[in-house]
Amino acid sequence: MSNARETINITIDGRTFEARRGATILEAARANGIYIPTLCAHETLTPFGGCRMCIVEVDGMRGFPTSCTTPAEDGMVVRTETERLRAMQLEILQLILSEHTSSCLVCDEREECARYSPTIRKAGVTTGCRFCPKDGQCELQEVARRLGVKEIGYPVYYRNLRVEKEDPFYDRDYNLCILCGRCVRVCREVRGAGTLAFSLRGRRTIVGPAFGRSHLEAGCEFCGACVSVCPTGALYERASKWEGRPEREQESTCVLCGIGCRVRLQVKGGRVIGSLPADDPLVNDGQLCVKGRFCITELVGGHKRLLRPSRRRDGAPAEIDWDEAVSLAAERLACCDPANFALLVSADCSNEDLYTAQKFARAAVGTHHVDTASRLYYRAGFNAYLDLMKMRLPLAELRHAGAVLCIGLDARFDRSVVGVEIRKALRNGARMVTIHPRPHSLGMIADRWICPRPGEEARVLEALVRLTGSPGEAAGSAGAGLLPDGLAQQAAETARWLLEARAPVLLVGSEFLHYDGSAEILAAVARLARNTAARILPLPAQGNLVGSVLMGSYPELLPGGFPSTDGSGLERLRLLWGAPLSPPDPWWNASVPADGRKLEVLYVIGEVPPAMRQRADFVIFQNIYPPEPDTAADLILPSAAFTETDGTMVSGDGLIQRLHAAVPPPGKALPNWQILCRIAQKLGKSGFDYRSAADVYREIAQVVEGFGEWNALPHRLGPLSVPGRLAWESAAPAGARAASELPLTLSVSIQEHRYQGFPLSRWVEGAAEVFAEETVDMSPADAAAAGVAGGDRVIVAGGHFERTWRARIVPDQPEGVLHATVQPGGHINPNPVAVRMRKSDV
Amino acid sequence: MNSFQERKQAALQKWAELQQSEAAVIYVGTASCGRAAGAQAVLEAIRETVREHDLKARIIEVGCIGPCYLEPLVDIRLPGRPRMSHANVTPERARYLVKAYLTGDKPPVRMAVGYHGDDDPGFTENKPPFFDLPMLKPQVRVVLRNCGFIDPEDIDHYLANEGYEGILRAFAMGPESVIAEVREAGLRGRGGAGFPTYKKWEICRSAPGSTKYLICNADEGDPGAFMNRSLLEGDPHAVLEGMLIAAYAIGAAHGYIYIRAEYPLAVARLHKALGQMRACGLLGRNILGSGFDFDITIKEGAGAFVCGEETALIASLEGNRGMPRSRPPFPAVAGLHQSPTIINNVETLGTLPAILRKGAAWYRQFGVPGNYGTKTFSLVGKIRRTGLIEVPLGTPLRKIIFDIGGGTLKKFKAVQTGGPSGGCLSEEFLDMPVDYESLGAAGSIMGSGGLIVMDEDTCVVDVAHYFLDFTQKESCGKCSPCRIGTRHMVEILERITSGRGEPEDLARLQNLGETVKRTSLCGLGQTAPNPVLTTLRYFRPEYLLHVADKYCPATVCRDLLEYRVIPEKCTGCRLCIRACPTGAITGLKGEVHYLDPAKCIKCRSCYEICRFDAIAGDGILIRSGRRIADEQRA
Repeated sequence: MSNARETINITIDGRTFEARRGATILEAARANGIYIPTLCAHETLTPFGGCRMCIVEVDGMRGFPTSCTTPAEDGMVVRTETERLRAMQLEILQLILSEHTSSCLVCDEREECARYSPTIRKAGVTTGCRFCPKDGQCELQEVARRLGVKEIGYPVYYRNLRVEKEDPFYDRDYNLCILCGRCVRVCREVRGAGTLAFSLRGRRTIVGPAFGRSHLEAGCEFCGACVSVCPTGALYERASKWEGRPEREQESTCVLCGIGCRVRLQVKGGRVIGSLPADDPLVNDGQLCVKGRFCITELVGGHKRLLRPSRRRDGAPAEIDWDEAVSLAAERLACCDPANFALLVSADCSNEDLYTAQKFARAAVGTHHVDTASRLYYRAGFNAYLDLMKMRLPLAELRHAGAVLCIGLDARFDRSVVGVEIRKALRNGARMVTIHPRPHSLGMIADRWICPRPGEEARVLEALVRLTGSPGEAAGSAGAGLLPDGLAQQAAETARWLLEARAPVLLVGSEFLHYDGSAEILAAVARLARNTAARILPLPAQGNLVGSVLMGSYPELLPGGFPSTDGSGLERLRLLWGAPLSPPDPWWNASVPADGRKLEVLYVIGEVPPAMRQRADFVIFQNIYPPEPDTAADLILPSAAFTETDGTMVSGDGLIQRLHAAVPPPGKALPNWQILCRIAQKLGKSGFDYRSAADVYREIAQVVEGFGEWNALPHRLGPLSVPGRLAWESAAPAGARAASELPLTLSVSIQEHRYQGFPLSRWVEGAAEVFAEETVDMSPADAAAAGVAGGDRVIVAGGHFERTWRARIVPDQPEGVLHATVQPGGHINPNPVAVRMRKSDV
Repeated sequence: MNSFQERKQAALQKWAELQQSEAAVIYVGTASCGRAAGAQAVLEAIRETVREHDLKARIIEVGCIGPCYLEPLVDIRLPGRPRMSHANVTPERARYLVKAYLTGDKPPVRMAVGYHGDDDPGFTENKPPFFDLPMLKPQVRVVLRNCGFIDPEDIDHYLANEGYEGILRAFAMGPESVIAEVREAGLRGRGGAGFPTYKKWEICRSAPGSTKYLICNADEGDPGAFMNRSLLEGDPHAVLEGMLIAAYAIGAAHGYIYIRAEYPLAVARLHKALGQMRACGLLGRNILGSGFDFDITIKEGAGAFVCGEETALIASLEGNRGMPRSRPPFPAVAGLHQSPTIINNVETLGTLPAILRKGAAWYRQFGVPGNYGTKTFSLVGKIRRTGLIEVPLGTPLRKIIFDIGGGTLKKFKAVQTGGPSGGCLSEEFLDMPVDYESLGAAGSIMGSGGLIVMDEDTCVVDVAHYFLDFTQKESCGKCSPCRIGTRHMVEILERITSGRGEPEDLARLQNLGETVKRTSLCGLGQTAPNPVLTTLRYFRPEYLLHVADKYCPATVCRDLLEYRVIPEKCTGCRLCIRACPTGAITGLKGEVHYLDPAKCIKCRSCYEICRFDAIAGDGILIRSGRRIADEQRA
């Protein structure tokens, strides 16, 4: 390929360079190490030309074009440092500084003030850089330093705007805003969200959601992209507000859901002080959701983290050292009947933790009683969900889809990264349909929003299957009678789009995965995918759901996903581990109720099951935070969070990625696998002498197909194949009352923003606001009928339960349908149920 | 084609019938300007009178003929007699006129200001032809030819007056020749910058891409400018035919009219006109059998001044915030929805039918080399005859201001051309021809055609402050020089006009103005300092008086003024005492009054009432600046 077509020659300040064709003058200059001051330009955003700092002189061009907007042309001669330019740039910078509180920049004592204790004697807190969280990282400071501003020849305008702190996660002080428009552009161009806009004119111009709404009301996803690009202290993350510049960054993987976004963990003083998206084209492509961007820092940095092991003594936890803790655990286990031992482990843990945990149960204790709480989450649909993964599609390919069908997916907070990719597909001309029973973020951008009544979802999917089936199979009867007319028409349209589009994709969220009928729903999704040759992108809520299956963290599954009843599989493991393996004794799994048969020892790793105490005589609780109440466990072991441990994870789309320890665990905390190994060794078991996570990984690679070299990660797995099946017994439906008594329908979602058994909102300030906890959504009409105002306490009663929530009035909520988000394993039937509602008197 | 010709024949017949009407025809100018002067009440009065007396008359609402100072205008034509124009008609007068003309033996022709028609048809009682009135005689009407003569809501009136003949000729010659014709005519964009229209078209026509757009820029936002509004209200089809011609030349299949929502009458008339065009096969597929497809959508702007700027207009049209973007790429290459787009001003488009109908050579007879053709101006300010005028380019300012406008009431001081983006020119420029280059050299611009005339009662510092305050508030906020620079300039001017000016302020203003002019993103910022820079250049002494002497010679800058009663002249009539809102003036009838400066808010009420009352005379004096101190010392 000829180079001449791809590059051009450009002369900047007397030096001639090659530059990429299509680059701007600024890009060409930067690529060749020439500094041009700029404030509004940003490499990921379209040129704006607003700050006017980057003006240059170009031979043959009138005036002073801005280098960020002017395309470089072959033979162009550019000057960036003439006296005239410098004078004008200084003038413009002074103008910008006159609108930005910056007296420290031109203060004679700025050096001393930075070094010694800052004082407000000379500059008020509203006017000085020393009191700005961005001090030392501010791009405006940098430009001012480079240009050598000595004075500001204009009176300073303080806009006297209220600092906005009402929304979660970040503060907005628009007194510091220089209106560079980066936040507006990133929100619109990169995220496709368009929450932020300029409003008003002239000196009153300001950035924010239109019509004066709060960010929450305006649909902000709290992805923090705007905060990341802000050149000044106008937008600032609250959790890291006064941390200053990080010492270093460590790339790792976010485990807060199954997408597996790559994050850059910012580290200072042995702590994680921030998390930013990594530019990984395989997964999140420089984007994060609210969890990855804002929740990690507070989640792993809480002051209540477990630092030392403790045991329950006289009804209260007492700190002990590791030796005592390990001995105590080993003692109890040594005399425990393997049939009465169970190990509950979190699917948020790394492969290495999960593998070691199931090996611990099977080889060290001698039982298959190992399970994750995901069983309670996916319930009857677990097997069908795993089947969908056979048709999975890498996230990065979503943008090329010709049609996208979103099934029970809300991409506003969790999984907003997927929302970004969907919007890219839409920009590329894709059609998008979303099936969702409630108002959600995709409803606004979808070509069609199919809104079934709760419980009607299965019929919509069944209709789609019939509509897309081969003519012989379901000719004539396609969809007839299954749906009301409006929905039937939408379904027919959707079916046509899916059939006509190139590379259609089905996205499976988690909205109705927990219904008793979810197996049928998911089976229909699989059939629909086959009918339309669509790929599927399942988006599990657990960070390492696929890993938990492949590691065999279930009573029914061995590593590799083989059934535990499979004799040859057992034999293979026996040979590898050098330990006798018993056939399964399947009385226990995570769905056994707390008041069922009692265990001797329950070992809980990264889970917080309700009523832990009632389940066993002795409870070992291993997590990053204490149980609640802290007397619920007999032995408490502090473990490392995902930012503190090496290991691997498997994302929902089958990518094995590395976790890198960014910081050491706090106090005496240890990685889960190390704790397990210590106890197993104390029990005198062999095969638990791994020296590192890599050691564990190498053993995994021997057992589980598709796991390659440790050093060759990330690595994509082939289609998921799980020969084993998980068992699920549905509870008998509760007796129904007459419809007149229970006029409303309550649908519930299972809370999925969790880490190791704790809801994020337990440890992250602001998460509760975003995830709307302890509230029940209702339509304005239903609220009016019940005399309920937003924020009132209402009592919702069904056939077998009664709950009190705060009312949240949602304009688009279908009438007659209430919705609440509940904790997994709670007492509410996860199926849509008939209820009535009244305002609480209290 | 046949059906169109039939329609045209029918229109001609209809027009001829109107001209030879057996009934009286009453023309009422009810464009916005006429309405503002009370034309609707007049129209209602005429209708009532006709009804009451069961008279036979046709009432036709027409657009604005130009002379605002004569509004409301009512023309009455009796069968076989000339059309007589009556000016400043009140409802009472209208009733009288209708009755007198239609029922009396002797029509009150003596009350008319003139008649319409080429040569005296008799019955004119020595009234002059309307177009021989001093305001109209020097004018040449190309764009405005139909305004005030046809019913703008009736396409037949336009068709009967050579309407849509330009586009027929365009179809006959082909798009390239249309561009060549416009090039030959030397037409330059009438929106302000004067870029050759054909050049823009050529770029767009040859730009790759099959989708192209034509936009009519009717976002006339300059304070004191109403050329486009009057044209759209008075002759919408002329602009629409121009759009057809332009779209045909560049190969656009879709056009937009971006018009201010503040022009409801123009919007309504455009909607009506578009419906008529569709009915006549002048819009839609295969227009008049030419194979050319074109349709037009009207988009109402929300009143942001910056949306008159091409790229901001496009952003607004796309549904985004009206904010300009940097060029290149120019809209002619990548405009609306990234497709090649031509944005032409209303007047540019309104000129096209005439050029195509009569040819480039005919058009070139108007104007001067390099600046061919005519230009409309809205002539306002401290001038005797305000109104909408059309003159050949190259006409000297003096002719416009003194011959057409009748001069100023007091001594002429300055004229602001080009609205808030233009410059303020002093007396020495009166003999300067009005063309793009001369205005540019003087530091001003042609702009869309606002001419604001000021006399010695106008303070130029105050004027500069007024215009800059306008642009400052209308800045979109995108680029820092415009947003912040104009703000600082306004504050400096505020200081100067309130007596807090420092000697260095003039240099600061100059420096800041030049920075803003050079480094702003779009035309708004690049021209915003013009009023300041030109006044600094041509009226520096006045600035110095404000700064050094705290003296405002025009007695406008309130903070520099002091009011007092001149004892020798005061007749003690108490008129000013009644006018004063704060009770600052006291005194008994027949005795000299006293004005308490502490209570005076300088509202000028006493001054005005004293000056205009024949009995009292100039009993109130406004003095300013150092002279007060001098007097006190004396």
